Amino acid sequence: MSGKNEGLVQYHFRDAIAGFFEFPTENARAILPPDLQPIEPHHGSSVLSVMAFDFHDSPVGDYGELILSILVSPRLEPGQPMPRSAFYPFRLATTTRESREHAIERWHLPHYMQDIKIGWERGDGHLTIHATDRGASVVDMTITEHEWSEASHRYQAFMNDEEGAYTSTIVMEGQFSENEEERGGITIYSQAMTDLLTDWDVDFTPFRELWMKNGLQTFHPLKTLASYARR
Amino acid sequence: METRVEPEIGLSGADYDYTSFYYFSSDDPFAILEPYSEWWYNRARPNGYYLLAQPMSTRAQPRVEIEEQLEKQHLKLLNLSSYNYLGLSYRPEVIAAAKRALDQYGLGAAGSPILSGTMDLHLELEKELAAFKKKEAAMVFPTGYSTNVGLISGLMRPGDLVITDQYAHASIVDGAILSKANVRFFKHNKAEDLEKKLKGVTGKKLVVVEGVYSMDGDVCKLPEILAVAKKYGARLALDEAHSGFVYGENGRGVAEYFGLEDEVDIHIGTFSKALGGMGGYIAGPQILWNYLHGFARARFFSCALSPAVAGGVQESLRIVQREPQLRKRLWDNVAYMRSKLTEYGVDTGESTSQVIPVMVRNDPKIFRIAHRLQRSGLYLQPIVYPAVAKHRSRFRISISSTHTHDQLDEAVSILVRILREEGILV
Repeated sequence: MSGKNEGLVQYHFRDAIAGFFEFPTENARAILPPDLQPIEPHHGSSVLSVMAFDFHDSPVGDYGELILSILVSPRLEPGQPMPRSAFYPFRLATTTRESREHAIERWHLPHYMQDIKIGWERGDGHLTIHATDRGASVVDMTITEHEWSEASHRYQAFMNDEEGAYTSTIVMEGQFSENEEERGGITIYSQAMTDLLTDWDVDFTPFRELWMKNGLQTFHPLKTLASYARR
Repeated sequence: METRVEPEIGLSGADYDYTSFYYFSSDDPFAILEPYSEWWYNRARPNGYYLLAQPMSTRAQPRVEIEEQLEKQHLKLLNLSSYNYLGLSYRPEVIAAAKRALDQYGLGAAGSPILSGTMDLHLELEKELAAFKKKEAAMVFPTGYSTNVGLISGLMRPGDLVITDQYAHASIVDGAILSKANVRFFKHNKAEDLEKKLKGVTGKKLVVVEGVYSMDGDVCKLPEILAVAKKYGARLALDEAHSGFVYGENGRGVAEYFGLEDEVDIHIGTFSKALGGMGGYIAGPQILWNYLHGFARARFFSCALSPAVAGGVQESLRIVQREPQLRKRLWDNVAYMRSKLTEYGVDTGESTSQVIPVMVRNDPKIFRIAHRLQRSGLYLQPIVYPAVAKHRSRFRISISSTHTHDQLDEAVSILVRILREEGILV
């Protein structure tokens, strides 16, 4: 079931996985707009989030998505619920042109302009993705499971493009698992999609692994921000 | 209208925690206060955080009395939570020494140690500490926290490298931040990761590790870590907050235990654990003392250690030296407790010290278990994220030389029964 409800746009997914990796704050600051502050689990270390979605019912049909983000300070708004966390996506890639154009036009998300392919490999207690760009590997990532429970999480996303700066609330609902057992891993290949990552000192073991399945992602209407400068 | 904490949805009770309220952006620095208070009073506290910081009305001895904060009940509990490893905080000789110092010097030092706050008692304590540690000099700080902050920020500068274990105490991290040096963390107790992060780094380098890590109770792999530090020309500072006065044949800590006292560049410790007081110290060469006397801002911009505490700590130090049987009794208790817990299959992680974690690994359940333990007569603190990683929640047992085997049996009996009833233990 997908559609709009009072400005809400919904995307159903089979799986959404994310790995949180530490990397130097100076690298995070080089990417972030000046008004967004990276959060630091350790002094000098920010958080790179690598996230992958397997959507099966959305305004633009079935598609896969790979998102590279930096976790940032949430912005508190009077009267609004506090987000669980906030992030700044700095590069996204999808598996279809239609989904890419939809995300650029509607959400001002910074897209990689080639279709990628995402392979999903299920194992015993883990899920691995293989993202490729025209046959060349981009990212391989494995996320492991822990205990599952129903969850509804509210996140805040910050976006910017040539037209301006924006924020949106994103609610994720579904079966959720989260752990810090350091059993997952990532390989980042030197490709155009990952050109901002390959020279970085990324810790290749996620300090946190998140997995949501059989879920629903709801985008709230985009808000234009005047407060942070565009890069 | 204030920002509000979203009502809990679904079954996940862990949507917010302390980390949710640290970073925020707003036009108002007070914007976080209301949502934090709402979370604290409506969710965190009633769901378990009331178990923390409950006021105690007795000495930190094996049997304590606390004012429980949920229903305001006065509880008499068997205490496995205090750092009082040798029971010195309430030893009559220590209390008497503190009283003598109080009578002679008054309550406070009434000045900074570099101006008018240094008393002959402070210098005596430093001299006795240096002799005990077999070092040229020792410097006393008003707290353990200010010891690491003062040392690291006093010695290191922008462009230098401070590298520490990922589980290092906040005082080490804060000292490194305050120094404005580059800060890096190596994976817990992994010398190979330390080497990876030291390799190729030029300039001044300081490695800071702890003797015993307070959340896991495991001992620093000092020989391997020291070898890597030396290989790359880094100085090594060892914080023996939890290992000082209890490890080693003479109580000189993990450095003595490993026979590496001369190789460690800077010895750090606290008076608040085994010595039962408060304050901290560093021990090392006289030239280090000289320099820090001028540059350890956390020390010289604080009032000097209270003379009453200094007097009590001095007596504790003397007791530690003349009563090695205290350490023997402590380690006997540790071995006894560990054998009992092992017998029942309790998961104690990697601990080999007097700090014994009871791994629950179930964040949603741990506060309920803690509540039941307390209502069954056990004073044991739950430790949850972000103090430890998610799903690595635990209880932290602190063994003291003053526990009796009967008391430890009683504690194990309560613990095992409730862990079994809660499905944590089969």
